[in-house]
Amino acid sequence: MNNFFLWLGMGLFVLVLLCLYRGVFGPGVLNRIAAISAIGTKTLIILLLMGFIYQRVEMFVDISMVYALLNFIGTITVAKYLEMSGEI
Amino acid sequence: MTQLTDDIIIRAVSRLMIPFIQLYALYVIMHGHHSPGGGFQGGVILGASFILYLITHGLEEAKIRMSEMKAGFFSASGLLIYSGIGLLCLILGSNFLNYGRLSVILKVIPSQARSLGILGVEIGVGITVMAVMFSIFFDISTGGIIPEDEGD
Repeated sequence: MNNFFLWLGMGLFVLVLLCLYRGVFGPGVLNRIAAISAIGTKTLIILLLMGFIYQRVEMFVDISMVYALLNFIGTITVAKYLEMSGEI
Repeated sequence: MTQLTDDIIIRAVSRLMIPFIQLYALYVIMHGHHSPGGGFQGGVILGASFILYLITHGLEEAKIRMSEMKAGFFSASGLLIYSGIGLLCLILGSNFLNYGRLSVILKVIPSQARSLGILGVEIGVGITVMAVMFSIFFDISTGGIIPEDEGD
């Protein structure tokens, strides 16, 4: 079962790299925001899978919830900043 | 950054989420010694909830809940809790922040007093970090220029 989670995490890592490409080279700001938000979501799942591998899910659930909250707030903040500065 | 915009979806979602974020922050502060987290992390989450409120509801509404003056008051009072517990241990004849000595006034065994003392210190740290996080964001987003006096 550990191998399954490990391979799942590695697959998500590849997806994170694809999102990172969109975040670095993506045309426009909105693509970058969406890419960073998606990377945050995938990181959350990778954290949970690490928790399953280390058999300490109850620890990693806390960390991943904080990650989700700060990801949400960060995305909203960047979007509002862009709206205020008139770039959209 | 702190102006009010009429995006109803963001406001409704944040109004739903902010109580749960604050509840989760209190959980992180309270469970700091069983799980990852503690005073600083819980304080950051609590400050993030206030920052979310400031972003989504604008400066005028946010100043009712948490103004710059209240943030200064909270940051000082959290530090007072922290150093007060430390000094209480010092007064009772032990080292600074040696919570085991608090068992004299709490009427519990020293290990329980240690747990309670750590909890008190974590609460103080959490309040301070929350207020300072909010204050930093407040100062940066308004550029140090607060529209009207809030002293009254």
